[in-house]
Amino acid sequence: MELRTSLKSALLAATLMPLGYAAQAEEISIAVGHQSMCTDTYTAGIVIKELGLLEKHLPTDGKYADAEYDITWADYSSGGPITNQMLANKLNFGVMGDYPLIVNGAKFQETDSLRTVYVAGTGYNLKGSGNAIVVPVESDIYSIDQLKGKEVSTPVGSAAWGMLLKAMQDNGIPTSEYVLKNQSPAVGAANIAAGKIDAHSDFCPWSEIMEYRGTGRKIFDGSETGVPYLHGVVVRQDFAEEYPEVVQAFIKAVYEAGEWIREDPMRAVTEMESWTGVEKEVLYLYFSEGGHLTLEPSIKTEWVDALKFNHSVLVKEKAIPPLDFDAWITEDYLKAAYADMGVDYEADKATMVDPEVANKGLPMEIWHSRDGVSTYASAAEFLKGMADIRATAALVNATYVYDAETGLKLFGKTAFWVKAGNNYATFLRKGEAEAYASANSGAVITFDEAIAEFASET
Amino acid sequence: MDILTTIGHPMRQDWRRMVVMGLMFALLMQVLMMIALMVRFQALPNYVVGYDWIGNVIHIIKSTPSWSDILPIVNQEWLIEIGKMNYDYGTGISEWSLNVVPIRMMVLFLLGALVALCLSLLRRHQCDVTTGTTLRATTGIGTILIAMTNATMSWVVCCAAPSWVVGLAMLGLGVSTSLALESMGPALNLAGFGLLLCTIVYLAWRKTRLPQLINRGLKNA
Repeated sequence: MELRTSLKSALLAATLMPLGYAAQAEEISIAVGHQSMCTDTYTAGIVIKELGLLEKHLPTDGKYADAEYDITWADYSSGGPITNQMLANKLNFGVMGDYPLIVNGAKFQETDSLRTVYVAGTGYNLKGSGNAIVVPVESDIYSIDQLKGKEVSTPVGSAAWGMLLKAMQDNGIPTSEYVLKNQSPAVGAANIAAGKIDAHSDFCPWSEIMEYRGTGRKIFDGSETGVPYLHGVVVRQDFAEEYPEVVQAFIKAVYEAGEWIREDPMRAVTEMESWTGVEKEVLYLYFSEGGHLTLEPSIKTEWVDALKFNHSVLVKEKAIPPLDFDAWITEDYLKAAYADMGVDYEADKATMVDPEVANKGLPMEIWHSRDGVSTYASAAEFLKGMADIRATAALVNATYVYDAETGLKLFGKTAFWVKAGNNYATFLRKGEAEAYASANSGAVITFDEAIAEFASET
Repeated sequence: MDILTTIGHPMRQDWRRMVVMGLMFALLMQVLMMIALMVRFQALPNYVVGYDWIGNVIHIIKSTPSWSDILPIVNQEWLIEIGKMNYDYGTGISEWSLNVVPIRMMVLFLLGALVALCLSLLRRHQCDVTTGTTLRATTGIGTILIAMTNATMSWVVCCAAPSWVVGLAMLGLGVSTSLALESMGPALNLAGFGLLLCTIVYLAWRKTRLPQLINRGLKNA
């Protein structure tokens, strides 16, 4: 053992000798791996980076009085490479979705000497919205039952893959009754646009990008599985133990990033579009009031249960290593950061936002390209507003309504509209719209038909 | 001992051929993977990134306490990444890439050298047609197993950490087969080397036994 250590030291000494002169002052390198194409990671990634929030909260007293911080950010398309880079100690922090987080923890615990700790969430959707199954916009598939015998693609190993497996199981469709293909989000989205695949299951915000661009239509939302969809922050344990105050600073930055978005969602999504290239209208669906994402970093018992469920899926399908959740998840840094900020951690932890309840009565919205977002208390007012805008040939960036069944925020143009008497209701799925129409002596109509009814009155 | 001497003889005589074949193998594999990617995705690569492999390896050695963890991590270190960036989404997303991984290159170099040794032993030692065909097939299977498990193609499909089956999945292998094969990677790799080494030992053994067999045959005659 001593011989091994000596050999290692000798090897290091030989290789590092030329670099020896460089190390004069204490420099703390903070390297963060984030994902600018995954909306739910933004409050621990691109927002902190662009607003300089980490720099703002980093400690500068005590043992950090003479410290010089070297902060680097690396953008990745998925969580897997972030884990690899963390193993190589090129990243200290990693921001990713629930399934990749589990793989991260399990892969580290598989090693002899390395560990990560799950220190904070970024945001969540209680029921699982963010993941969805999309079909080509012209497809005659309207429900998950119709996927029997069809080709369905998904990024295998992602949260969307886990959601797809559970959705199929819940609907009594065994894997032998559909063809599962492994496709990246970009390839899946391109295939949906070209009609080359029957359906594609993906994570945030790919389904909404396809809907916004008019190439895809959602037939199944992740919320139907009822499994929370989470994202979070992992840190190398050696780094966290050496610099706990830096981890707390990072969590404070995550919290502040959430506050910044809540303060003015319009400003936030416009800025985020310029940083990430993802359309602001798509981001608004996530970050506005009533959006898919609740920005809050606490680690709730329900989240731990959801992560354990996800791990069981991964074990069953991919034989990933076991994961000791008690050793991996810690609230210590969160509690310390909250205490420093004077915010009640237990209150945040106890709060759970259910879109079905929270979104009841929220107004419909029209995003006018010149005037910004206008809100409308009723569907009739909203449709009249749209008819008026169309009459002036003004441009509309997007419209937002809510699914009557789940409370999910939807693009007005992709919702199924039902007119029953003088009342209008909007739905994510055609089946539920038809059922509602039949129960209320109404009819399913298109968005344009609904607007046209008000145009004739002007 | 005789077997080692028998193996050592062609190694001393043909070492240049073995080195050249090893290098060719390592390089050709990269070219073949790149062609496979371009054909599969009907697109040319549009970005290249170089990495400080030596610096990264030093960093890994320095910051990883256990030697048993160092090799698997270094095994994933890239020297060059070459691929196709899709700018239709966000600020660009790497759709696919070929990763030149020095440790895998070394494995492929070793594979090429072993194949050269096998061929050299086969050439020196005349076998009957059936035996020759069997030995060549064994060498081929071993080669395929090693080459397959050292594929370094990737795409942003798996949120789970990338693995060797990503390359196969990308080329059309079914999801269930990919997942079933994933954990078998190291075993298949070892099996490939095992087959090659067995072939080499068998050929050397036959050669050492041949004079005795001939002598025994002459005595019996």
